[in-house]
Amino acid sequence: MKRRPLVALSSAAILAIYAAGYVRTRGAADRFAAEAAPRRAPGANPPLVQSPPPLPPVQQGEPVIPPPTRQIETRARAAAGQTPGVTSAPAPDVVPETAAPAPSPAITEYEPPPAPSAPEVPAPAVEARFKDGTYLGWGYCRHGDIQASVVVDAGRITSTTIARCLTRYSCSWIEALPGQVVSRQSPEVDYVSGATESTDAFHDAVADALSKAK
Amino acid sequence: MNSPGSSIRTITVMGTFATIEVVGEASDPKQVTEREEAIERAFEWFHRIEACCSRFEPASELSHLARQIGVPVSVGEILYEAVRFAIAVAEESGGAFDPTVGASMEARGFNREYRTGRVVHTGIAALEAISYREVRLDPERRTITLLRPLMLDLGAVAKGLAIDMAARELESFTGFAIDAGGDLFLGGRRVDGAPWTVGIRHPRRDRELIDAVRVSNCAVCTSGDYERRGAGGGGHHIIDARSGRHATVLASVTVVAPTAMLADALATAAFALGPDEGVRLLERHGVEGLLVTPTLQRHATRGFPSDYSILQDTKGPADNRLRDPAGDRVTNRGHQPDIWCSR
Repeated sequence: MKRRPLVALSSAAILAIYAAGYVRTRGAADRFAAEAAPRRAPGANPPLVQSPPPLPPVQQGEPVIPPPTRQIETRARAAAGQTPGVTSAPAPDVVPETAAPAPSPAITEYEPPPAPSAPEVPAPAVEARFKDGTYLGWGYCRHGDIQASVVVDAGRITSTTIARCLTRYSCSWIEALPGQVVSRQSPEVDYVSGATESTDAFHDAVADALSKAK
Repeated sequence: MNSPGSSIRTITVMGTFATIEVVGEASDPKQVTEREEAIERAFEWFHRIEACCSRFEPASELSHLARQIGVPVSVGEILYEAVRFAIAVAEESGGAFDPTVGASMEARGFNREYRTGRVVHTGIAALEAISYREVRLDPERRTITLLRPLMLDLGAVAKGLAIDMAARELESFTGFAIDAGGDLFLGGRRVDGAPWTVGIRHPRRDRELIDAVRVSNCAVCTSGDYERRGAGGGGHHIIDARSGRHATVLASVTVVAPTAMLADALATAAFALGPDEGVRLLERHGVEGLLVTPTLQRHATRGFPSDYSILQDTKGPADNRLRDPAGDRVTNRGHQPDIWCSR
């Protein structure tokens, strides 16, 4: 028998997190399961799998079942509290309070940011909000150029899509990013490990677009 | 790939694209609904873990932790388990992998919040003397104590963990694939009953594969020197924590393991260690891997399939295979995975 402490530790971590999420969200999960039950084939899943820990806050206001589109999308994580980086606080102001270590050795409880349904994270807000509109930006990689389209509505990013790609290949390879990029050129494989470039190009394009939205 | 019986969806999360495919019957609307709901739940883990473990996000639990020095901070399961695992890998790799390189990464230009492109500045100095030994864990009270100011970078571990949680969410299906920026988990079988075939990107020729393996229930993660360059054209994102410099001995490391958090962390560690020590690390932990040097020398673990059979089955260079959608999908070895992982 090989000693595999890290394999065991990673498996234990997954179980611990899954179990904790399950317990904490069991009420919501039960409701979810109850609602979903009539649509399920009986006995299709073992109970634990059938009652997973969905994140109710994130699902708020969103359809449980997405349209079966294969379009690349950045789901609009609409509530400001979820993405303060996008909608509120400018980063450079964040200086940790390291200079003055807390005098008390008491355990510090983490207070999670307000639920996404809450109005706003108490942070210097507003000025970092984006102006409404649709913005285009370019990103570059060795394949060529990618143009992203970013839609800002009510100061928030509601969607980002790939608008154009002037790459050596047609836009079609981008429809099922990222691993598919290479696998489309090598049809004998299902997925490709290590393919990241187009991802970076897309980020650059989104960042470029957003620089115009300020 | 996108067979009629599959549900497939892509989102952007954790600074990359994440794609989940779940195979099954296309004709049964109940099953289609079930798959799509499961994919939603699986993606929730990505959002949840990102919100918790991002060093780019001032409101994340990780950033909160970085602001508390010298005191035990009570944290949630996700952050605790991610940090505990990262520290364990640091210990097992003799510090070649070290999650305390966050401030050093920031100083080298890996400081951009990917959704907005804004630059993050935590004000934490990148001190060479900082190491994982400055992080104390208390399993009883589930607290983390940072003995000195430092920023944890859980990038590799957090993405792996999200993949693993998504895989846990999908494990009742006969087959599923999760692809988060080239880090993969392949569950069960393809819709045709064959194991999943995973290509490994060539570290120097970006249109080509250097190898391919058939796997089932395995994570496949690759660390390469071609990924994620820092701002200003600096080096790649893998730092040998022992020297504080970019690791340069390898071009890419691919690890096949039962969990993605393990595959990702060990790929990073082996990359920093170099070919010989790297292979020993992987073998010591019972996982398989392929390590490729900048001159394309291959170093593989003993159990890594070495016959190149999948790529050689189809004749000619990759370009000629573009119009051959069938590829070698059906071969006499097609229904046996090269590597089958068990937790």
